[in-house]
Amino acid sequence: MANDSENKNENISENISENVNEAVAEATETVEKEVTEAVEAATEAKEEAKEEVKPSAKKADKEPKLRSNSAAKRAYAALVYIVVAFFAILAIIPFVYMFCNATWDSGSITSSFKLWPNFANGINQAKQNYHTLTSRATFSFSDGFKNSMIISICSTLLTVYFSALTAYGLKCYEFKGRNVVYAIIVGVMMVPTAVNITGYYRLMNTMGLVDNKLSLIIPAIAAPNTVFFIKQYLDSSFSLDIVEASRIDGAGEFYTFNRISLPIMVPAIATQAIFSFLGSWNNFFAPSILLNKTSNKTLPLMVSELYGDRFVDYGAIYFGLSMSVLPVVIIYCFLQRFIISGVAAGGVKE
Amino acid sequence: MARGKTKSAKKRNKGLSYVKFGYLFIAPFVIVYTIFSFYPLLTTFWYSGSNMTSTKAKFWGFDHQEAYYDQFLDLSEFYGDDFEEQVGITKMEYLTLRYYFQAQTSALENDPLSGKGIKALQEAIDQGKLEGVSADTCAKLNQAIAEKNLALLDNDALKELKDWRSNYVDDTLTITNQLMRISTNLKLLANPEIEDEEDSSDEEAITAASIIESDDFTAFIETLKTEEFSDGTVMLMDYLAKAVGYEDLVTYFTDVQNGSVAVEDSSFYFVCTNLNSPKAVDAEGESIDGVSVPFLSKVKTYLSTSEWPNFITSLNTYEKLNDYANRKIDLHNGEEDLLADLTTLYESGLINNVQLVEEGGKLVQAQDKSQNIIYAMKAYIDENYQSDATLSFSSSQLSKIDAYLQNQGRGMLVALGYDNVDTYIEFSDSLEESDINIDKYLQFKTDIGLLDVLTYDKYLELDANFKAARVEEASAKLAEAEAALPEAQAAFDAVAGQEGTDEYEAANNALIAANIEIERQTDKVNNPKGLLQQVNAKAKYVFVGTENFNKIFTNKTRFNSVFGSFANTAILWILGVIPQILLALILSAWFTDTKIKLKGLNLMKALMYLPNVITAVTVAIFFRRVFAYSTGASRSASQLVLEMFGHPEGYNFFASAWATRFIIAFINFWMWYGNTMITLIAGISAISESLYESAQIDGANTFQTYTLITLPLLRPILLYTMVTSLIGGLQMFDIPQNINVNPALINFNGSMIRSTRTVLMYINQQAFGMQDLKQVGIASAVSILLFFTTTILSVIIFYLMRDKDAIKAQQAKKKAKKEAALKNG
Repeated sequence: MANDSENKNENISENISENVNEAVAEATETVEKEVTEAVEAATEAKEEAKEEVKPSAKKADKEPKLRSNSAAKRAYAALVYIVVAFFAILAIIPFVYMFCNATWDSGSITSSFKLWPNFANGINQAKQNYHTLTSRATFSFSDGFKNSMIISICSTLLTVYFSALTAYGLKCYEFKGRNVVYAIIVGVMMVPTAVNITGYYRLMNTMGLVDNKLSLIIPAIAAPNTVFFIKQYLDSSFSLDIVEASRIDGAGEFYTFNRISLPIMVPAIATQAIFSFLGSWNNFFAPSILLNKTSNKTLPLMVSELYGDRFVDYGAIYFGLSMSVLPVVIIYCFLQRFIISGVAAGGVKE
Repeated sequence: MARGKTKSAKKRNKGLSYVKFGYLFIAPFVIVYTIFSFYPLLTTFWYSGSNMTSTKAKFWGFDHQEAYYDQFLDLSEFYGDDFEEQVGITKMEYLTLRYYFQAQTSALENDPLSGKGIKALQEAIDQGKLEGVSADTCAKLNQAIAEKNLALLDNDALKELKDWRSNYVDDTLTITNQLMRISTNLKLLANPEIEDEEDSSDEEAITAASIIESDDFTAFIETLKTEEFSDGTVMLMDYLAKAVGYEDLVTYFTDVQNGSVAVEDSSFYFVCTNLNSPKAVDAEGESIDGVSVPFLSKVKTYLSTSEWPNFITSLNTYEKLNDYANRKIDLHNGEEDLLADLTTLYESGLINNVQLVEEGGKLVQAQDKSQNIIYAMKAYIDENYQSDATLSFSSSQLSKIDAYLQNQGRGMLVALGYDNVDTYIEFSDSLEESDINIDKYLQFKTDIGLLDVLTYDKYLELDANFKAARVEEASAKLAEAEAALPEAQAAFDAVAGQEGTDEYEAANNALIAANIEIERQTDKVNNPKGLLQQVNAKAKYVFVGTENFNKIFTNKTRFNSVFGSFANTAILWILGVIPQILLALILSAWFTDTKIKLKGLNLMKALMYLPNVITAVTVAIFFRRVFAYSTGASRSASQLVLEMFGHPEGYNFFASAWATRFIIAFINFWMWYGNTMITLIAGISAISESLYESAQIDGANTFQTYTLITLPLLRPILLYTMVTSLIGGLQMFDIPQNINVNPALINFNGSMIRSTRTVLMYINQQAFGMQDLKQVGIASAVSILLFFTTTILSVIIFYLMRDKDAIKAQQAKKKAKKEAALKNG
């Protein structure tokens, strides 16, 4: 597809990376600005939008086969822009609201609707909110962050390495039953992962892994979706000649995989690593059952405790929510191109 | 990869030696998948056909990890025909043995002439503590004890002793009983779900409908009218009245009873949604937070703004709060109501265990524990109401004697084979010597080698040893904690006065933690846990065939719960997925429309996909906050926005089941339309450009191009989207769980969350949610139902969306081939 605004996307990333400290306010502001720039002010008024689309409309007019008259086409284009802009804004407005309100005190938040950060005293108020959150909460966000990081990073590494290994094994070796194994892997992708939870809990209980991060990390070795995706990638862009050549040169099979084939698979692995990481980071169901100790809880579990009515300080709540969103937003800003191409390639599991 | 035949054959030959590496490479995946996914799935299947209510039992005496005797766990309920095989003795023998221990324990408890109590009684007589009891009676009692013959007590003596007992008031006992009653009431009020989900099929679930139809509700209305309230009613009303005024509540309930308002009416929902919103506004319009306000000064304001003190007698006692704090009022003079109310407030999270006080504009935990109201009152009870242990024991011993003489304890002894009960025999001392038929059980125990393990004395000995070990351990920890206290205190003193700094907070927290630790260990030393509380029963899984499924389909309550959760999941998924796919279709059409040539496509994609990568929990909590409803000054975003559009009263979204469903569906839509759109754009991009060009040449308009070319060719992608969305949708959990995870709602009445309870929430609740009663079998059965539902629905979608033309073409091809073959043949 057209890459018109790729530069703009990079701008977003740069802007945010420039000042991570103020990213709460910056990210949303920048994104908002970029939207406005990108659709060239189509967000504010119909007229503006109409003017903007004129050039493209004129260009289109020159095409001989077009049957619609230019005025109707312009109106149609304007409508499209407005709808698209509306949904683009709808997609980010909650985050803008969340980040902005993280810099306000509870009183201001609950007395009037605010879609702008606290310019006057935002940083101090954010600090204050942080103190309120940490002093009132029975949990610590840093612990949650640490736990989430450990689980997500470990399981991502395991997922991509072993999935690559499996996909490579299926691709390069014509062993007996290869097709059956592959068919089974594709088949089990359809099995809802949550249905075995009672059996899984019992198993973890027997193995003594309840309330242990390992119970969420080890199963990551077997990720049918990732295997499927990497296998697809290998089928389309991996030549067995490389393996042959490597064998002739006397390299062992694992050496070939680790040193020669794995680097070739990097694009597919990178995409899958992102999804695996996000999936693990956002996971709530299994951790909510397997992790009971406060010191073991992951970030989503901590966030879910922000619900309780013990928390009535809206500033602190929005601060906590923003903190849980921020890492993902930052990762997303840098990697959105890979993510979106990954989704387009159908490699996303629901 | 078209290669020459020879080359590929060569390759295969060469590859043969490497083939074994293929197994090696896929081995980790296969092994881990088998152990961590496939095996649990199989066990889930197995559990769905098993009765495996896991019980946290307290028992002792075990062989092959099964309990022979257990107060709470009856093995005969666990095993059917294979009892003897599993337990090792016949069911009859087991029951007899079990009964023997039960009877022995009860008899010992009811023993009128032995134990602590009798010693206390003798002591009381010696010290002349029994006021109003004549010396004559004391002498008779002493004699009866010495000779173990209760017949020596004549009627006059007995009457005197009984009079003394009825006049004796045991303060600690009274207050403890009161506390226990409160606690029981609270538990009943807080956890109706546990009873509701219990197995008995005649017990109906507590739903909005059942409350309103039941006698309880009638009684409740009557109580409202007469203004005479039991503790339970007060608690219930206090809960209900948090958000609506008294008048509204009565009107509403009356309306419901008259049938003019539907049960699933939003106001009932509203009342229940706001049960746990301890927000009120004081005279100046400031909002008061029940948790954080300095308790003594503001709780009265808080309660008075909820308009209840005028109607509930016991709440008027809050007037006396300060007097309590100053210890001016005797707690014992009928003021348990206050304690009840305070405990209620505490249990419902309205007040904190540790008092919060304002310091330098910040709320901090009070250092002076005597300021803590609950603590103060507990300390006060401990200090002033320690009853005389001798008298207390004497009193209960006299009750036992009385009960025995009135034949209550007699049954036990008769059952044990004492024919001459009226001349009492201290059976526990002379058990082995007596010629009662219990001997054959002892013989039996000896035969099966259990005498050493299972005698009651052996148990007592083990128990005592165990307790001693626990006390020793706790004492060591206590000493340690006490040693650490001065250090923490010093650290705190060093930063005293620097409120607000990190160091101060840290020192403050450390000090509080040290104090809590000391309290905890002291408690352990004083009340060591015995052996009975130590051994957990191993849950037994017995295959019961389709019993779990039968329970689901035949028990009306459970069927409604399970079917309701499936229906909710379907509703939530359909409400979300339809707009999601429609919008994605429209947007993808626009984005790929060469005539419009939208600018900023990548940016749009990036923005629209953003919600999908964010933690669903965060999104749910965020929306829960945005659509919250408060009658106080603190208003949620939705209220503020509605106010801007001229609806200052706002709208309570979570008061209505459907509004909540729409919000959840909207979140799902909002999170996933970007994803679907990107998938569809990719699908459209893959369609050959030449098709569109030829369509244009043929004079097709945009709409025709779309319906005749794009949509049919998009079918596989749409199928993929639908199936993945279905699999994900049926596993919906994070958002409904977090949007409706209102502790008060769940605790007060489980029915309230049912309008948005999904299948996974139900499984989670059944298998892991309840403390004591884990219905793993039911949860597994529901999991299996979910598994098959997913499979069936996926197949249906595949079938509905199959490419009929392609199939026809294929069939035609086959036919042609066959015909050709026939012709040739």
